[in-house]
Amino acid sequence: MSTTLQFYRAGDSWVHRLNPVTKLAFVAAVTIAAFGVERLWWPAALFLLLEVPGAVIAGVAGRFVRMVLGFFAPFLVILFLLQGLTYPEPGTVLLHLGPLEVKTEGLVFAGTTALRLLVMVAAFVLLLLTTHPGTLMSAMQQAGLPPKIAYVVSATLQIIPSFQARANAIMQAQQARGLEVRAGGAAARVRRLLPLMGPLLLGALTDVENRSIAMESRAFGRPVRPTAYTVVPDSAAQRAARWAMLALAVLVIVLNTLGVFS
Amino acid sequence: MIRFRDFTYAYPTGEAPVLHGVDLEVRPGRFHGLVGASGSGKSTLAMAAAGFIPHAQGGESTGEVTVGDLVVADTPLPDLVTRVGLVQQDPFDQISGARFTVREEIAFGCENLGVERGEMVRRVDEVMERLRIAPLADRSPYELSGGQQQVVAVASMLVMRPEVLVLDEPTSQLDPAGSRMVVEALAAVRATGMTVLLVEHGLELLAEHADELHVIADGRIVAEGPPADILTDPRLDAWGIGRTRFTAAAAEARRDGLWPRSRPLPATLDGAAAGFRAAANGELE
Repeated sequence: MSTTLQFYRAGDSWVHRLNPVTKLAFVAAVTIAAFGVERLWWPAALFLLLEVPGAVIAGVAGRFVRMVLGFFAPFLVILFLLQGLTYPEPGTVLLHLGPLEVKTEGLVFAGTTALRLLVMVAAFVLLLLTTHPGTLMSAMQQAGLPPKIAYVVSATLQIIPSFQARANAIMQAQQARGLEVRAGGAAARVRRLLPLMGPLLLGALTDVENRSIAMESRAFGRPVRPTAYTVVPDSAAQRAARWAMLALAVLVIVLNTLGVFS
Repeated sequence: MIRFRDFTYAYPTGEAPVLHGVDLEVRPGRFHGLVGASGSGKSTLAMAAAGFIPHAQGGESTGEVTVGDLVVADTPLPDLVTRVGLVQQDPFDQISGARFTVREEIAFGCENLGVERGEMVRRVDEVMERLRIAPLADRSPYELSGGQQQVVAVASMLVMRPEVLVLDEPTSQLDPAGSRMVVEALAAVRATGMTVLLVEHGLELLAEHADELHVIADGRIVAEGPPADILTDPRLDAWGIGRTRFTAAAAEARRDGLWPRSRPLPATLDGAAAGFRAAANGELE
């Protein structure tokens, strides 16, 4: 199974049916909006009022929460440790930990940054959970993404599991001949794994040559305007909504600059 | 359709030619088989027939290959691929990676040719039906077995409606079940009357399908003719090709006086069955 197909959850919700470009515009708009206002409550409101309801409507709320936390929890810990303990500006000290000081301003900064990133990650997760990668690529090509760029993205997404399978096969073949890959320290392990890269890379190069022949056989890159087998539904309302979302995100920045959120 | 005239070719990395003075004609509507030992130049010939030699591989060549009225060396590859479809050995490498379902994968070539959508949908449905892969239509090409992937590769070529289909050992990397799938697909292709050049080491597959066989040894075409003649030719061993199981069994039986003297050695299961049936009925003369 391709990497991205591991995320996608089929469904027929309103969110699923949206054109993927509209969902991408949503990702861009909420991300811009989240970073546009320097208030702790603002990104939290975007997450709770827009993204969580979106996941609920799409019927993917449970997986949405698990994936967002999975992506985000380790990063969150690191962010709080770094910003909470090493905030360079003067501020209110809440706690002394040896030479380090935990400051209120550091925690607020860490919290705001974390929530902004949460909004961005959650929007992407919602997109991945409700959009088949093939539909996403088709929609992006319909929107004008050059076929060669679309190919690079699609092929990369799909080829990773196959590459992993080949690496495992090579490693198992070497283990069958007595190579002990798990013994010793990290440096010793890396030293023993290096020779495995040769067959992996040579195999990949052969694949590239064969695949390029296969692609040329399929007239890829021919100087004609390609047509599309899969047509992703779009509408004037969605096109208008995309521009409206982006305009609202810019408006938020303008309002913040004018001090409306202060 | 495809014609080699005194064609000699050497890869850019090698000094010695791989093909020597090849003369070969693939005629319209005929199913041609090319057979030869490993390293005899079979795959090189297939690549030359499809135009990837010299366009993609480079190298030195003399003589000429033509596809219809086009001289391969003078025709850009994008124009040749609309005339000649190529199916390679490795099914996995032929999956484009550009599309996420089998039906989209098959349609990919039509998209690149700019075929109008309605026509494209009709072609995809038709070819999936003909090759009996319609149940796979919405699966990821990467989830298929090797045999299924190879049939999808054949379908991906057929849907582009080339004038001739060149297949380079399409079953060589498949298990018996996968090979059977491809053989059935080839039977379906043959039923359409399409021009085919099948490069193959499996003699029984060629005996079953080919109208005409060409034998290549050390880069030279050394024999041509109907499969029944070629696959029972006593020089097969010298060419490093071997025999079909049916020919070998009948030859053994003839040595022991258990094969009708007047009957030629068979290349197919049907021929062998008929001969042994006759022998069992006492017709040994």
